[in-house]
Amino acid sequence: MLVKLSLSGIKSRFKDYLVLFSGLVMAAAIFYMFEALATNRSFIKANATFSVAPFVFQFGSVLLAIITLVYILYANSFLLSMRKHDYGLFMMLGAKAGKLGQLIFLETLVIGTLSVIVGLLAGWGLTAVVGHLLIQRLDATAAHFNALYWPAILITVIFFIVLFILMALINQRTLRKTPVLKLLKSTAQPTHVAVKPIRTAVKMIGGFVSLAIGYFVMHQIGVFQLAGIGIALVTIVLGTYLIFSSLFTWLLNRLQRREKFTSRGLNNFILAQLNFRIADYNRMLSMVALLFALALGAITTGMGFQKNIQTYTESAPYDVVLHNPTAETKKAAQKIDTKRSSQYTFKVKKQQVYFVREQFDQAPLYVQKNWRKDQIIPKYQLMSGKEMTMAEAPSWQVSLRDLLLPRDFQKDIKLVDQAEFDQLSGQSHTVKAIVSTDFFANLDAIKKTTQLDQKQNHSPANYAIGSTKYDFYQIMNSVLSGLEFMGFFLGIAFLAMLASCLMFKILSGAASDRVRYRMLDKIGAQQRLLRQAIAKEIGVLFILPGIMGIIHVLFGLQMFTVTKLLPEAYHDLWLPFLIFLVLYGLYYVLTVKLYQKIVLTKEP
Amino acid sequence: MTATTIVDVKHLRKVYGKANEKQYEALHNVTFQMTTGEFVGIMGASGSGKTTLLNILSTLDQPTAGSVRINQQELNQLRGNQLADFRAKEIGFIFQDFNLLENMTAYENIALPLSLQNVSAKKARPMIEKIAQTLNINGILAKYPTEISGGQKQRVAAARALVHQPSILMGDEPTGALDSKSAKDLLDTMQSLNQQQHVSILLVTHDPFSASYCQRILFIKDGQIGQELKRGTKSKEAFYQDILGVLGRNEQTGA
Repeated sequence: MLVKLSLSGIKSRFKDYLVLFSGLVMAAAIFYMFEALATNRSFIKANATFSVAPFVFQFGSVLLAIITLVYILYANSFLLSMRKHDYGLFMMLGAKAGKLGQLIFLETLVIGTLSVIVGLLAGWGLTAVVGHLLIQRLDATAAHFNALYWPAILITVIFFIVLFILMALINQRTLRKTPVLKLLKSTAQPTHVAVKPIRTAVKMIGGFVSLAIGYFVMHQIGVFQLAGIGIALVTIVLGTYLIFSSLFTWLLNRLQRREKFTSRGLNNFILAQLNFRIADYNRMLSMVALLFALALGAITTGMGFQKNIQTYTESAPYDVVLHNPTAETKKAAQKIDTKRSSQYTFKVKKQQVYFVREQFDQAPLYVQKNWRKDQIIPKYQLMSGKEMTMAEAPSWQVSLRDLLLPRDFQKDIKLVDQAEFDQLSGQSHTVKAIVSTDFFANLDAIKKTTQLDQKQNHSPANYAIGSTKYDFYQIMNSVLSGLEFMGFFLGIAFLAMLASCLMFKILSGAASDRVRYRMLDKIGAQQRLLRQAIAKEIGVLFILPGIMGIIHVLFGLQMFTVTKLLPEAYHDLWLPFLIFLVLYGLYYVLTVKLYQKIVLTKEP
Repeated sequence: MTATTIVDVKHLRKVYGKANEKQYEALHNVTFQMTTGEFVGIMGASGSGKTTLLNILSTLDQPTAGSVRINQQELNQLRGNQLADFRAKEIGFIFQDFNLLENMTAYENIALPLSLQNVSAKKARPMIEKIAQTLNINGILAKYPTEISGGQKQRVAAARALVHQPSILMGDEPTGALDSKSAKDLLDTMQSLNQQQHVSILLVTHDPFSASYCQRILFIKDGQIGQELKRGTKSKEAFYQDILGVLGRNEQTGA
């Protein structure tokens, strides 16, 4: 009978349960998505060339587990708040506490199990789609990447089952310990928060100092090494929390005192809402800010690696070099949108390779300029045959040697005039160096041409000492695209987690807000105003951690520029930021819509 | 109908339930008027339809048939935002459970209807202070609802209902959650508001003591207005006895 009652209770609040359920499914899916990477050792080994990668992933795992735990606790309090009244009623009707305890235990477990199962399926799909998309978009070589990965499934299942059993026990205890009357009455309403000036000032100063230390350590990461990451982590977490619990409360209070602002529409109401929200959300918002920073940071560094690939690819003077091209190769080369093409003849002796000086007067050669301070990649200048003197020999000899096939790399390079060249015995070879208008736009044609040339000259397809843009691209892409893939993947996983977390926390407060909005409706606030009030209130809750997160990222990128891991980390920042903010914005819109639906729908 | 009619209800019907479901008629052909400055009570047992009537009068619910005019405005002609604006301007509302926003001070709560009409802070302050003076709550304006008593809360709610000078004050069991002392204080205040400031008051209650403060009482039973009782020059106590008599007879005939 009780089971029946309980089921009918769920049915009557199906919508609320749907929110809860989808939240849990999301958590399980994202957790799985992350673990699919983190537990896949062969993937990490194959794709991350730096030795700290496994450590980074383990750290990420722990972080995600903590976040999931917090998330589940929110979800649980939401579940409990929904059931409290029902269970109070059952108890009043004479149901035994023990029986009810069993019931809530069972209910929690059933919801938990169902959400893990659905979550795993969703996670599998999500991992496959995101993985596939990223590999395709990035031309990445994500070796050993598997969307369906058993160890990850196992860990997800164990983790969530343990969590839900824990939750079920907590719920059982709470229900047994709470007096019936308290179960029947709704929970205490949140009240205003008084600002204590001295405490706020101390917190604010503490927050700024902590953040400053964290930012400084990140800038000096070369000095502090791994300890620096630890220090930055602690101080930034602490600083973020202190700032949230002081600066924003203080700002709101300042704003509340400005009558001109508060006397317009529902402004004062929004401020009052935010005021107690922020006190309640301190920890939550700090966590979201940090997650925001991590997610944005991951995507930004991911894109930074993409830029690295481009930068280093551009560091070669020629896109393709053809050696004694056949008709087929020439035809393939015609597909490339060519900016500049130079052909040179040479003869190969036992110890020397001879080029013709006059040919370089007609078609000058790209020679590397002298290296200057602060230069990241080599720069080139054109050099004609007359300029190729013995004094400048090393530079042009290097450039010419780069045009040859590997078998001739050890030989001396000589420059002779046409007459002398004709006297030399031996077969005459040609080499054709092509510069395209845009490497990445012509990537397909360049790839095909290069492969044909390699095949015809029997040079190994993946030789690492090549000197064309395509060679550089291949090397950099194989090293960095794995990292890039990880960056994007982690970024998206973190973002999904943080946004669902924030969304859920906000939605779980919606029930108690219903009364307030109902009252405003009764005293004649227009629906439009009410909708705006909700959008503004939630907007602030989304924007504050967003701003903090962006600031963290801007400072955090120092680590990458200082260590030269991503020399141009700050270049073209807008793109990853834009992608990220659009995704974040979508979550915001979704939260507002759901909230409005819960709060403003009139009960019959 | 004269220009001084503030509430004019004609042939009001309200049916709950959709056409193909079992229907329930909460109001059946209700007609009555109320003149400006009157203090009218609507009495009835639980389920008599008095809350439905009040919801329709306060534009929170729409009638199935019939017309309602408040301050010459036909409510049927108003839609969406117009309804909200009408509520904000013309009607002051006091609820049984106060409905104050517990995260705002008494002052901010009272200021809410004014800021909804975008009255500037400078203009709002004297209005709020004046109504606070009238209701004798100027000492607690800076306090939050959790810090004041039930009676004080209801005075704050009354101040919020009156601060924008609506054409009518409606009360839905405003003394329902108060102890007898606070209830009497509130009713005395309402009476003096009515007599000295000529505020029109419509009070819905099932409590005979509250009703005895009214000048006229409409008894509603099973969705219909059955009987009307006028106080005239009688004392409050005598009127109270009359009300008890009507209630008693209603019980008898209903049984």
